[in-house]
Order: sequence, then structure tokens, then C-alpha cells
Amino acid sequence: MSGATDHTGIQPGEVTAFLTDSTLCIGCKACEVACKEWNGISADGYDFTGWSYDNTAALGHSTWRHVKFVEGHITPGIGGNSAQQLSWEFSSDVCKHCEVAGCLEACPTGSLVRTEFGSVLLQPDICNGCSYCVISCPFGVVQKNEDDGRAFKCTFCTDRQKGGLMPACAKACPTESIKFGRLDDLQVEAQVRLATLQARGMSDAQIYDPTETSVKGIHAMFIIRGEAETYNLPPKPEVPTIYLKDAWKSAAFEAVAMVGAVVASFFFLGRKG
Amino acid sequence: MPGLGTSVGRGGATTAQQSLADSDAILIMGSSMAEQHPVGFQWVVEAREHGCKVIHVDPRFTRTSACADIWVPLRAGSDIVFLGGLIHYVLGNDKWFKEYVVHYTNASTILRDDYVDAEDAGGLFSGWDAEKKQYSPETWLYKGSEPKKDGGQAAPGHHPAGGGHAKDRGGEAGKTSQFETDETLQHPRCVFQVLKRHFARYTPEMVEQSCGVPRDVFLKVAETYAAASGRSKTGCICYAVGWTQHSTGVQIIRAAAILQLLLGNFGRPGGGILALRGHASIQGSTDIPTLYDILPGYMPMPFFDSDSKTFEQYIKQHSTEAGLWTKFEDFMVSFLKAWYGDAATKDSQWGFNFLPRVTGDHSELGYWLDMADGKLEGLFVMGQNPAVGAPNGRLQRKAMANLKWLVVRDLVEIETASFWKDSPEIERGELRTEDIATEVFLMPAAGPAEKSGSFTNTQRLLQWHNKAVEPPGDARSELWFAYHLGRMLKERAARERTPKNAALNALTWDLPTEGAVAEPVAEVTLAEINGRDLTTGKLLSTFEDLKRDGTTMSGCWIYTGVKPDEHRNVANERSAHDALGHGWGFAWPKDTRIIYNRASAAPDGSPWSEEKKFVWWDSEKREWTGKDITDFKKDMPPDHKRDLSKGGLEAIDGDKPFGMHSDGRGWLYVNSGLKDGPLPTHFEPLESPVENQLYPAHQSNPPSDKKERPDNPYASSPHDPRFPLVLTTYRLTEHHTAGGMSRALSHLSELQPELFVEISPELAEITGVSPGDWATIVTPRALISARALITSRMIPPVIKGRRIHQVGLPYHWGWKGIVTGDVANDLLAISQEPNVRIMETKGLVCNLISGRHPAGHAALDELHEILEEQR
Amino acid sequence: MSEAESSFRENRLDEIRREASQFGTVQQPGIRAAGSPLPKASPQTGYYQQHLLKEPQWTPLVPLYFFVGGASGSLGVIGSLADLLGDNDELARKARHMATAGSAISSVLLIADLGRPSRFLNMLRIFKPQSAMSIGSWVLSGFSAFAAASTLADILDRQVDGSPIATFLRTVGRTGCTVLGMPFHNYTGVLIGATAIPLWNNRVRSLPREFGMSGLQSAVSLLELVGETDSNALNALGLVAAAFETWEGLDLLRTHDRELAPTKEGFTGALIQTAGLLSGPLPIALRVASLFASRRKRRLRQAAAISGIIGSLCLRYGWVAAGTVSARNWKIPLNIPDAADVQLQES
Repeated sequence: MSGATDHTGIQPGEVTAFLTDSTLCIGCKACEVACKEWNGISADGYDFTGWSYDNTAALGHSTWRHVKFVEGHITPGIGGNSAQQLSWEFSSDVCKHCEVAGCLEACPTGSLVRTEFGSVLLQPDICNGCSYCVISCPFGVVQKNEDDGRAFKCTFCTDRQKGGLMPACAKACPTESIKFGRLDDLQVEAQVRLATLQARGMSDAQIYDPTETSVKGIHAMFIIRGEAETYNLPPKPEVPTIYLKDAWKSAAFEAVAMVGAVVASFFFLGRKG
Repeated sequence: MPGLGTSVGRGGATTAQQSLADSDAILIMGSSMAEQHPVGFQWVVEAREHGCKVIHVDPRFTRTSACADIWVPLRAGSDIVFLGGLIHYVLGNDKWFKEYVVHYTNASTILRDDYVDAEDAGGLFSGWDAEKKQYSPETWLYKGSEPKKDGGQAAPGHHPAGGGHAKDRGGEAGKTSQFETDETLQHPRCVFQVLKRHFARYTPEMVEQSCGVPRDVFLKVAETYAAASGRSKTGCICYAVGWTQHSTGVQIIRAAAILQLLLGNFGRPGGGILALRGHASIQGSTDIPTLYDILPGYMPMPFFDSDSKTFEQYIKQHSTEAGLWTKFEDFMVSFLKAWYGDAATKDSQWGFNFLPRVTGDHSELGYWLDMADGKLEGLFVMGQNPAVGAPNGRLQRKAMANLKWLVVRDLVEIETASFWKDSPEIERGELRTEDIATEVFLMPAAGPAEKSGSFTNTQRLLQWHNKAVEPPGDARSELWFAYHLGRMLKERAARERTPKNAALNALTWDLPTEGAVAEPVAEVTLAEINGRDLTTGKLLSTFEDLKRDGTTMSGCWIYTGVKPDEHRNVANERSAHDALGHGWGFAWPKDTRIIYNRASAAPDGSPWSEEKKFVWWDSEKREWTGKDITDFKKDMPPDHKRDLSKGGLEAIDGDKPFGMHSDGRGWLYVNSGLKDGPLPTHFEPLESPVENQLYPAHQSNPPSDKKERPDNPYASSPHDPRFPLVLTTYRLTEHHTAGGMSRALSHLSELQPELFVEISPELAEITGVSPGDWATIVTPRALISARALITSRMIPPVIKGRRIHQVGLPYHWGWKGIVTGDVANDLLAISQEPNVRIMETKGLVCNLISGRHPAGHAALDELHEILEEQR
Repeated sequence: MSEAESSFRENRLDEIRREASQFGTVQQPGIRAAGSPLPKASPQTGYYQQHLLKEPQWTPLVPLYFFVGGASGSLGVIGSLADLLGDNDELARKARHMATAGSAISSVLLIADLGRPSRFLNMLRIFKPQSAMSIGSWVLSGFSAFAAASTLADILDRQVDGSPIATFLRTVGRTGCTVLGMPFHNYTGVLIGATAIPLWNNRVRSLPREFGMSGLQSAVSLLELVGETDSNALNALGLVAAAFETWEGLDLLRTHDRELAPTKEGFTGALIQTAGLLSGPLPIALRVASLFASRRKRRLRQAAAISGIIGSLCLRYGWVAAGTVSARNWKIPLNIPDAADVQLQES
């Protein structure tokens, strides 16, 4: 798609998505850099991790794209694209923009909203840094910047999308490993791609899109080889609102009991003499 | 460059990266393309997704190997054995593309009776002068080719001061248009049979023994790659400095060229050789050269001997009677007209004597050693950081202390500019700031968005970039700097009209300038480079219109066509209208994307197949047509028989695609022009723990130059017990060469913050190095420390029952910037490959010690101790 | 690199080495202890054993808020009802004033914890029922208003007899404090329970109850410390709360889910178990004793109060800190069993 026209032709109201296909990733980290450049995010640490070529370590308030490096078996004669084994996998992580998003449900200021593109946007001019979203994300994405005071995460380049452009990471990716488009199109494409990979013998390939959980699917889907756990992708992520019913029931019960106890205590024992 | 230049005629990539999408097999070797050319690599991935097999041969399993179908772990430095093995396989199993080989290569050409091959002489070809340590190519010439003998100390192309880039088309030592052939390829002295005998011992077993590549893996590669050949299949070979930065670099590339010629891949979609050059404009920096031995368009700088006493002699020496170089005089005169304008007349020999003459080894490593010996007064360092990027960093930095003045132009204060106050030499007390008399000028440079100009990238593509913002403060572009410096020098020369200043006074130097800081108009320079008809004033659109009578001028004949009229700058055009990118930028020559594309058609002019149809003869219109500009004479029919009286392209047959050569053929065998032999022969790197199993009498490349001296010491080879490991250095995607442009940026620095060394778990255990901890790497030149990245991607090859452990180091770090580290290139030696004088960085020896080296002078004491033990 | 930077790097390396030799493992990326297995990403080790969840980023003001809020809410209820049901006017008034003060302190604590304190009003831009934080913000605001109204009514009552304004404020204030005191004193248990932190959502049912009863006990304790040691009603409430906390503590000990490890191991485990003792058995013993030892009644009840307050503080700090420990468990969100550890060492 070299030289493709810039405008995506996607209208506000159409739900967009990422399909990040590790089998096309070359581990160049252009996505990490393009994201930081476009969004004006600062560097967040110069620490050597020793984790293969990944010194970024995790998503956070100042890292919204993170390329993971997983080393497997290295055998002479077998290249990484071989179906025979997993040699060295690269997978670019990003905010999942969940269909039912824990951070969005938790946000008390209305900073986190669902945009017209179906993405989950954290509006920094409203956020007051209560950091409740941070502990409500089952994927460990959003984080408060202690120096700034507010929480930050991937914006899905909503500003670019409003201008009819694709997100910076997808634009920079040289091999189109990061695919951007309409959610329903990409869901189909993911299935087609999976079938292609499996036909090539890559029985270890899978689509990561937890539709069967309370998250009800993510708008940033992944095609990975191997197990989700290897990439720190939770096999059964849940949106924490599923715990609310039990919690409030319990609270209500105790509250009534508390009032009852107060009433009873003072009624029976609250009189002098 | 001479590797490709002598084989096929031009020393650059023969195809466009986009064409990789049409390959049936891609062999990436001497390169980690996915890491260093990530954008170009998208076409490799595209090809792979359509069934193309990608093979990566590399001592390490890199990010490229992770995207390949087959990875071959290779012992660093054994590339010729591997490629020779592939050649042997192709010849032995009849996998060569017969029609292509017979018609398009010099396979049928017969050699002289007194030619002796390296196979028959223990590693040396005929013509070796052991005293001078050089070859005379006379016995290599074709039978019947008259040697060019007049003038000069050495045969043309073999000048001892040469740097190998001069027109790199080889064959200048004799009249290459004179030869005999045997089209049946049976004659015992025909190139084909000589080739077979030369590679007879490069068997799969030898590959296993010498490269450490298991036999079955090698055969898998051979089968896979050889299958991508023939009428309807093509394969491409991609290489980079993993090949060139070897003492046998040029011959490694020659071996690849031989393979591609045998398989019939040049000039065809999905075929050819992609020489992957590094920087945004590295190709441009040799097209409009910053190299000492060439002029723009790969014309030779005149050498200081009788070759250059008269213009006529010089032209005779370097012209050919057949092929495109017949027009050499047209190019040269036009070039001199561009530089010297009215002062270039027939009577003044077109200003030929204004050009300086090469008197010795003026290559970077050559003059740097002169600098170390106190023979150089001043130096301009522009957009380079030798204190970190050049071999033997300690010598590099100490040498600069001998200069009287140094001018550094860069975007930030790089290590080269501050060596006098904070280099390791200062820290260790080897140099003291107060004793360094060098006057250092640091001039701020404008970045790419702050100036207009062009880049010429690895596929010969010129792309213009427009100035978007003004440079800050005093930062200026290169064009501004060079122009105004020249202007001021010319003003001085105008006041002192001495013979010494004649050249300066004659130089045309009037560029219009614009803006507050008088920035020269870059497009005007481009127009001068493109060329004009001086009688009409009109810009030229093709180098074919250049004349030798002084009526045309062109600063660089290969670029002619980039600015064909006042309103067009083809380099600035951005509407690609086909898969190869026509309409986007300008690929020299003449916007040809795949050169030698006559070879994409059969001898009779019809396409080889429907699948690989590319350029073909239209018998109705009587012209060549197709998907690219034809790299051939457009109206010359396929059945044309050569007419030597006409010269030029008409002096070669209509079925000969390699028009830069006077026989029009691709050269399996190079009859002259390469100082280390007409055929690739395996020699070990200058430092190696292993003997040369093929030619035990000659461990390393005989004409290569170690430049061994007390400040540039070597390990003894083979078997120096102090240095039992193999060291290889390389790049990472995240950083830019010597780090000036990446370690000053936070977003890149955080991706790879520290210098690390890659070693296998086995080696880590042997040396006691813990994951992530410090390890010290030692060579005879220096010791440095790096963080240990222990990985199973480093697999020690087994050579004759011995595990040869390999150590990998990226070389981006220096002591300045956001992230810092030791300078890896301090470990390397200065050495010179015989043709292009490039240093060997890809295979040398070292040792590895757990822990971090001490600070200050104690580090040198430690190095000294190690060097002294067990000599 | 400047000397300062290089020595910083060296210090960090030493730090890592010290952590390795002390604890046998290193939590941060960087150097691994010699002989340890290579850092690895796999289905058994996850992504280099890096925890995928983000740690809570609350300051120590938040557990303090939990304490103050829990007490205030309960004080609000007591203050609204105690003098209606007996002659506890003084007690009730104290409770009301402390509820008002507590709600003010709560607001200050919450605002100070925010990353951008000046934007605290943004909490009231929306009302989001599915966010316990949103509900809490509104409940706190409402409760503060009603508590203030009650206090204002008290002040007016002292100045003027039978003022209709005072009556209005009193009625509205007390009703509001009772109604909102109910969620205010225990919603923080919902707040942390309905999150992604495995420890917290594992105990999502017990946390609101525990925090609530702890708040009640704190309220009782605070009133006793300002002189109300004679109130048998308070003592009874204290006993009810402590009994409940004892039962909860035992239930926690009996449940062996691995998510609960931070409540039983390490520093946070010590804190929570201490909280259990100081909130449960000890106050029970002291309060029962106070029923029989009339001479020492005051002292015993004061001791129970102090025990209760410290216990309540330890409970909040313990559970919040344990949340951070839980977030750092790299295995649980990936459903990787602990037995994988054994496999690793064997390989």
C-alpha cells in the first residue's frame, strides 16, 4: 500500500479498530516513536531491561505503543516465519479500547468518554487525577503521570481520525502489521488471516479478542503466535463493573444492619436509669 | 561498488526495493535488512506473503531472521565459502539458466594460455608480485585482448593509489572488445570451465567444515534459491555492509554476482542484486562523490603519472571502443564545462589541469594514519563522527590532536568535536587538554527539514526535500557552507592571481542566493548537475545529448534528466503511477528502475515468460518497450550485430544487455580492475581463530593491507590464545550509526539506552557473565564494557570439532548525548580491503571477561596485562 | 554522561544486587542474580514475569480518608438518631459535630490526593451510577451538606428557641445524614472491591461490610474518647462491630484463595492481621470486662476505643497496601498456577 492516499474515507459514527498482526511485525518500533512524536509524549526512562530488545517494558502514561519481544527456540535452518516453531516474536501492544471499558465505567469526572469512532478517549482537560481508572483496567493500560497529575493513555489518535487520517502508529508501520479500519471489516480480516496462517501450518496462531468475557470484545485486536499469557494478555479479562451488584447488595445489607443496631442499642440501652 | 561494477557495469543496486515483491526467492546475507531498511523490507514481507521464500544468512538470529523462512547461522567471515558452495551446487546440478548464461554472460569467452587460477597455485592467481604485494592483470585478460600498456605505473584500474571506485566497470587493462568464444562452453579455457574448476572444492562438506553450516541446511538453501531461476522465476540477493566491511568484501559481492548471472536474475523483475546502502543519501555521496578517487558520475580522478599528463591520454586510458563508456569524453568535457565554464576550452584542454591529481592513498583511513603521523594540518568533518564511527577509535581521536585545525559541522556537539576535553583519552590521561594544540571549530548544521536539497537512496532514487522551517540561530545547510566558503576563497584568489590559484579563479561559482542568510537556491545547483545545452541555454533531458565539443555542460551525467526543463524537478514529483514508483522521484540513469533490463527479454527480444514480462522488443514500432525505461538503445533491434566503427551501444550486439561493458556481457570472470583477482577466492578475515581450510598457504587476502603498526596492533592468526572468540559488529534499528542523530533524541535513546553485547548462554556460563550484568570485551586495540544480553540467538558454529563462540556488539554509543556508553569501534583495527580500502568490522577476534573495566588509566593497564600474557 | 548520571546508574545496579541477595528475587527489570534463569517470556513465566496490572496510585491520604469517612458516616447516623431514642442529647450533639468535621476533613483529604486538586469540582460534572467513585463523590457532597445543616441547626438552637429555620435544618439535616450516612460509611469497600485488583475483587462482598462495621466501631471509639464512656448503647454497638470484625477475620483466615496471600503474608499481612486483632478480640475482651468492672469502666472502654481506632486505621492502610502487592502478582491475571515456579527451577 505504498503511496496510498492519506484519507481513510471513514466517517464519524463508524466504529474503527486496530488489527495488530504479529506475523507481519519486524520489531522496528516505528509505532512507538510515531505515537510519541505525534502526541508530544515524553520519554519515560532510559533503563536497560535485558528483556531481549524490549527496553520499553510496558504501556503506561508515557508509552502508548509497546513492542514486545519474545524469544523462543532458535534452530539452524528454521527462520521465524516457519510454521515449525516460535523463534522470535514481536507484538505491538496498545490500549484495547474495550467494547465495555473498565476505565470508562470507573471515571467519575466524565473525562473518559466513548468517541464517535467507538474509541475510549481520556480527555486531559477534564481529568483531575483521581486514578480510579488505573485500577479499573483489566489490561493494565492506563496510568497516572505523577509529575503531571493526570492519567493518560492511547487516544486512538481521535484527533487524526477526525481529520480523516489513520492513527500515527498505523501510518508509520512499514509492513502494515498495524492495520486500521472499520471494526467489522477488521474482524472479518482477522478471521481470513487466521485461516491463511493455519493453512500454512501455523497451528499456534490465534486472534486475541476476548468477546466471551464481560469486556465483550476489544477494538484493538491482535493476531499472535503462541499463548496469550506469553504476551501478558489476560486470558479472561473482566470489566470490574461485574462486581458491583454483589458489592452494593452487601453494602446495603450492612448499612441496614448498622442503622438497626444503632436504633436497637439506643432504644434499649440509651436511657439513663 | 567494484564488486557489482566489474560484474555488470555499474557499482550500485541493480533494482528497486519495490521489485522484491515479484521475487520467488530472496537471499539476504551480509545484511539485516528488516532492521536497517525497515521501510524497504515491506516488499520482502509482501513477497513472502505471496509465497516467496526468504532466506537469511547471518552469524546471529536477528530481526530479519525472525521474518525469514530459513535462517542460516554463518561463521562470520566465511561468506565466500558459502556463496562458492551455492555456485558449485548450481553448476554441479545443472541449475544454471542456460540461454541467459550463454548469451548474456562471458561464460563462453576464452582465456589466455598463461592464465593460472588460484585453485592451481594454492590461492594465488598468475601475475602476483610478492614484493610489491600486488597483481598484474595481464595474464587475466581475454585471449586476443591486447593489453593497454602505454603510460602509468600500473595497468589501468590497478593503480596502487586507487580506491576502486573509478567507473568500476573493470576491463580497462586490455581491449575487452577483442575476444574469442566457444558457445558450447566446452573449451577447457573458457570462463565457464574455469569457473567450474575454480569452485570445485566449495562442496557442501566444505561449507559445513568452514562455515559451520549443517550440510542439510546448506542444501535446503541451495535447492530453494536455485529453484527461483529460469524463464518464469527470479530471485534477488540483498546485501549491505555485512559483506562490504570485510578484507574480501568486493570478492564476496562478486560471488553473489556470479550466482545471479548463472541463475539469470539480473535485469529482471524480482531479480538482481540490491546493494542496501545505509544513509538517506549515501548513494548520493558516491554519485556526487566525497571519495578521493572519483569525479561525479563515477569518472576517475586523474592519477599523478603519465596517465594524466594530457587530457587526450587520460581519455584514451579510460574510454572504451564499445559500450556506453565510448561516450566518456562527452561526459568528461561536459563535466569540466560545468566546473570551469568559460575557462574550459579546447585549447585549455577543457581545464583538465585544474583538477588535482591523486598521488597516494588519500582514502579516509589513509589520510587518517597520515594525520596520526602528524602529516595533516587541517580537516573538515561534516555530518560524520569518526571519533565513534571509525575503526580503532583510540587512534582516530589521538590523531586529531595532531591537527592544526579541525572544523566539525553537525546538529549537536558530537564526540569528534569534543575529543579534546572529554574523550576516554582525556579520562585516561593519554591526552591532556592543555597539550592539544588543535583549534576546533564547531559549526552548527541545519537539519533535513531546514534546508532544500535531494537525497539519493540505495535504489539510485533522487528524492527532493523542501525546506519547511528556517534553521535556528547560526545553523546553516551544507550548501550554504560550501558555497560561501568557496565564495570567500575565490574572492581571495581573485586578489592573488598566482598559478596555484588558477583553478579557484577558473571555477564557476555563481549561484543565486535568497533569504536573510543568503541561502543558495538548491534547484539551481540541481540544474547545473542535470546539465544544459550551452548554445540554446535549455536544460537537457538525457545524457545521450552530452557532447565533447564544449557545447554542453553537466555536473553529473548520470543525473541528467532529473531536471529536464525549468518547470520540472522530477526528484520532487510524488505521483507514483506504477508498482515500481515511476512518477515518484528520479532513478538514475534516465529514471530506469531496474537496470540491465534488456536481460528481462530473451535474445530474440520476446519476454522470457508472461509472469516475468518486463521489457521487450516491439517489432511493429521497431523499439523496446515495457514497464520501465529501457536500459539499452531504444531503437536497436535484438538481432543487431555489433559495429565497432560506430562505438557506443551500437558496438555491442543487440542481445547483450550489459552496455557498460565493451563486450556487452555480464562478467562471471573479471579480466581486470580488481586488485585481488578475477574470481572470488576464500580467505579468512585478517584476524581469525580458524585456518584457511581451502588455501592453507595464504591465511588472509594477499593484497589486503593490515596497516599494522604499534598503534594499530593485530592478534596473530590463527590461534591467538589471548583472543579465542570471534567478534562481529552491527547496527540496530533504533540508533543511527555513531549516535549523533539518535543519542541526542529522547524517543530513540529510550528504545536502546545502553551498549549491550550479545552472547550465547554457553559462552555466558564459560565466562561467568550474568544476564544484564557488565562484561568486558578485549581486542589488541582496546577494551570496552557492555551490558550482557544473553540469548540463544547466538549459536556457536562448530569448525573442525571446535565450538567457535561469537560475540556481537552494536556500535552506536559514545560518551555524549542522553544515553552514553563505551565506543565499540575502539576494538576494531584499521585495515584496508585491496580495492576500496574499507576496514574489516564484521569478523575479528576478541576475548570476553566478566565484570566492568576500571575507570581511568587502570583500564589501559588491564589491557596491557592481557596483551602481554601468553604471547 | 555526567558524573551524577553515571553514579546514579551505579547506585541502581548496587540496589538491584542488594535486593537480589536479600530476597532471592528481583522485582525490577535490569540485572538478575548470578545463576538465576534467563529472563523469559513464555506461557509459564508470562511476559518476563512483569505484572500486567497497574498498581494503585493513591497517596497515604486515601486510606486515611477511608477511616475518616467511615467514622463520619456512622457518626452521622448516630448523631441523627441517638437523641430521638433516649436521653443522649450530649452524645448525639457531639456525634453530629464530629460528623460535620469529619466530612470536611474527608473532602480535604480527597482533594489533596487528586493529581490535579484544583479540578476537584469536576467530580460533580456527572453522576455515573456504575462508578463507585462517582457515587462516593456525590454521597460525600450530600452528606457534608446535610451534616453542616444539622450542625447549623444545633448552633441556631442554642441561640434561638423554636426557630422554624432551625427545625427545618434539623429535620432535613438529620434525615439526610441518616440516609446518606448509610452509603457514606461503607461505600469505600465497594470502591476498592469493584476494581481489577485480584485481592480486592475476590473480597468484594466482605469489604463493604468490613469497612462499614469498622467505621461504626471508629465512631463509637471516637465518641468514647471525647467522654462518652458511660453510654452502654455505645458499648453495645462497639461489641456488635467487634464481633462482626472477628467473624470476618476468621472467615479471611479460613479462605485459602491464593489472591488473599497479601492479607496473610509479608508486611501487609502483618498489618491486616494486627488490624483484625485490634478490631476484634481485643475490644470484645475490653468491652465485656468493662461491663463487670465498674471502677475501671472508663479506662477499659477508652482502651477498647484506642484499640478500635488503631485497628480501623491498620485495616484501611493494610488493605490498600495489600492491593499494591496484589497488583504485582504477575501470575494471577494470567491464570498461571503457582506450581509453575517449581517447573521453572527444574528446567
